Amino acid sequence: MEDQQIIDLYWARDQRAVGETAEKYGGFLYSLAWNLLRVRGDAEECVNDVYLRAWNAIPPERPGYLRAWLGRIARNLSLDRWKRDQAEKRGGGEILLGELAECLPGSPDPQKQMEDREIAGHISRFLRGLPQESRRIFLLRYWYGSSVAEIAGACGCGAGKVKSALFRTRKALRAYLEREGVVL
Amino acid sequence: MRSERLFRILGLVDGDLVLEAGEAAAPAARRKRRWSIPMAAAACGALVCGLALARWGLGNINMGGGANAGGSGHDGGTVFMSYGGPVFPLGVLEEDVDLTAERAVIWDLAPGAYRDGEPRQWGAAVTDGYILSNSTGEDITVNALYPFTGSLQNLAERMPAVTVDGTEAEPILYAGPYSGGFQSASPDGSDTLNLAYPDSWEDYKALLSDGRYREQALGDYPVLDVPVTVYQFTDFAAPHEEYRAATQAVTFSADESETTVFTYGFNGYEGDPEEGWARHSYFVPDGVRAEPELKLLIVLGKDLEGYVLQGYQDGGCSRGEEIEGVSCTVIRQESTLDEVLDEICRYDSERYGALRGEEADTGAAFTLFRRAVGELLADMGPLPGNRCPDRYSYGFLDDLVSEARAMDRVLYLQFPVTVPAGGDVSVSASLWKAPSHDFDCSGSENVGIQGYDMVTALGSSLRFTRQTAALVNGEGVEIVRQNFGFDLAGGVSQVELDMGQEHYYLEIRVREED
Repeated sequence: MEDQQIIDLYWARDQRAVGETAEKYGGFLYSLAWNLLRVRGDAEECVNDVYLRAWNAIPPERPGYLRAWLGRIARNLSLDRWKRDQAEKRGGGEILLGELAECLPGSPDPQKQMEDREIAGHISRFLRGLPQESRRIFLLRYWYGSSVAEIAGACGCGAGKVKSALFRTRKALRAYLEREGVVL
Repeated sequence: MRSERLFRILGLVDGDLVLEAGEAAAPAARRKRRWSIPMAAAACGALVCGLALARWGLGNINMGGGANAGGSGHDGGTVFMSYGGPVFPLGVLEEDVDLTAERAVIWDLAPGAYRDGEPRQWGAAVTDGYILSNSTGEDITVNALYPFTGSLQNLAERMPAVTVDGTEAEPILYAGPYSGGFQSASPDGSDTLNLAYPDSWEDYKALLSDGRYREQALGDYPVLDVPVTVYQFTDFAAPHEEYRAATQAVTFSADESETTVFTYGFNGYEGDPEEGWARHSYFVPDGVRAEPELKLLIVLGKDLEGYVLQGYQDGGCSRGEEIEGVSCTVIRQESTLDEVLDEICRYDSERYGALRGEEADTGAAFTLFRRAVGELLADMGPLPGNRCPDRYSYGFLDDLVSEARAMDRVLYLQFPVTVPAGGDVSVSASLWKAPSHDFDCSGSENVGIQGYDMVTALGSSLRFTRQTAALVNGEGVEIVRQNFGFDLAGGVSQVELDMGQEHYYLEIRVREED
């Protein structure tokens, strides 16, 4: 079913919307949650929570990219869940977040802080300036939460190349954000 | 934690970038949720009871291979992502009727000339008018049939108003079966999981040309009075505070060559037909989730010899996640498939109405809905002997019931018309046509274009002597593509149609205000 038809089902409060979402994106959402949590039960619960959030959010929302919109909810819910489980050190999120810390400019200045969406806009522009392969590798790692090995398999290259591309992109992003005056 | 904030911000990057990257992530994205995906197809094979369903059936249905796509072969018109369907000509039930007909179709493109009332141009108010002439010396009475596309769900919006000599007719409404087919959800085309709605007038031509579709629409209801054993699950209890998705599973052994199982109100299925076991499960109703409380397991053929009930933490129903405190009452009764469908349709109709703050369908509307459900099950459900698409092979009646309501179909308004000897009668159908269009989020070059089309003779046995088409209130639109011959700038807003031409199309775009 087309995304727009699924969204129309949500707007019509037709419960098939959830079934169609699960049919089309259930595996994708599960993989996002799994990549961060590495606990099957937690990932399944997160995915079910995504459906509930979507049901409650549409309407009034009408997502332009349903896959990305659902994925963002799954990432955030997974992160919340991972934080709750952090004491048990059983998730993959710690590694991901540790890597992302390299992208953060220093010298926090509250006066220069921007809204998250503005910062996301900067990052989107930065990503558009990258070679497609570097952009894809970066997002597979930090948006989809895929492992280095999975990315290497998906992109048809070696793990070393993936690590190298990620390292360079993180450094470049840090420099870009500093130049744009972005402080987190 | 700043890196956590960055992680969340990354979630907000432009969606197209995410989709682009995701194209490389297909292997991970293909992972399926265990609790909702069966391990093997349900019974679609052996004939175990005497259901003889010689119906229109699957002969015309696209069972895989994908829907039509691409922009060629449609008289030059665009193949839109969402096809509104053509305006059909009036027909008559009788054959060899000695009447002639003139037709005048008017497309009113005024902003707000549609029924949702928003002040913008979207859709068209169509007046499809006819003059029926009788040159014989005797009055001729016919059963006129006016076809239109729609679904049971959007009838209020799509149903034409019909007049005969200016007097509102009181037509009988008939609904044909699902007008589309099925297509694969995977790139290798190996399944029939997705619906494939008609996406061009040729699809309707294939559907209606031989008259069998109309015959089924106007024909008798399918009879499904085969005996079934019904297990109803009720009086639920579960530790909801501890387990938000507490699940009840029913596991049993059954030989699928002897037993076919349907469910209503269940959420999950897994099983192994070769080993002869199946597990159906549902989230225990908690009064919060919008889950149906009617839970039925319907057995066609040999009854179950026993079953095991078990509570689980969630829909995964995994070993080691069993929980105590999940309970229900099971009521077993003998019935027929028709009786069970009656109960399910009544329940579903009330529930559907309640979700929208509307009254449940009653009377003719309910009868149409009930018929559509029975018809879909008889034609495409996993009944013994049926060639059912993968989409319905698991026996989830919830899917069949909700899709019977939402599926595109051709509907017919039937009403009597008497044309006096040597005289004329005017017949008019007024309807709102949703435009064919591409979805806003698609980025397609056709976003913003509205497509309309009509057919001159398809499905009608009337002898037309003239057809015209006209555009009114077209000041706010520009014509992007057409084969009518309109020239709004040149003042040509009415044209004669060539009746040798089967199909006419018009594609417009709203003018941007200066």
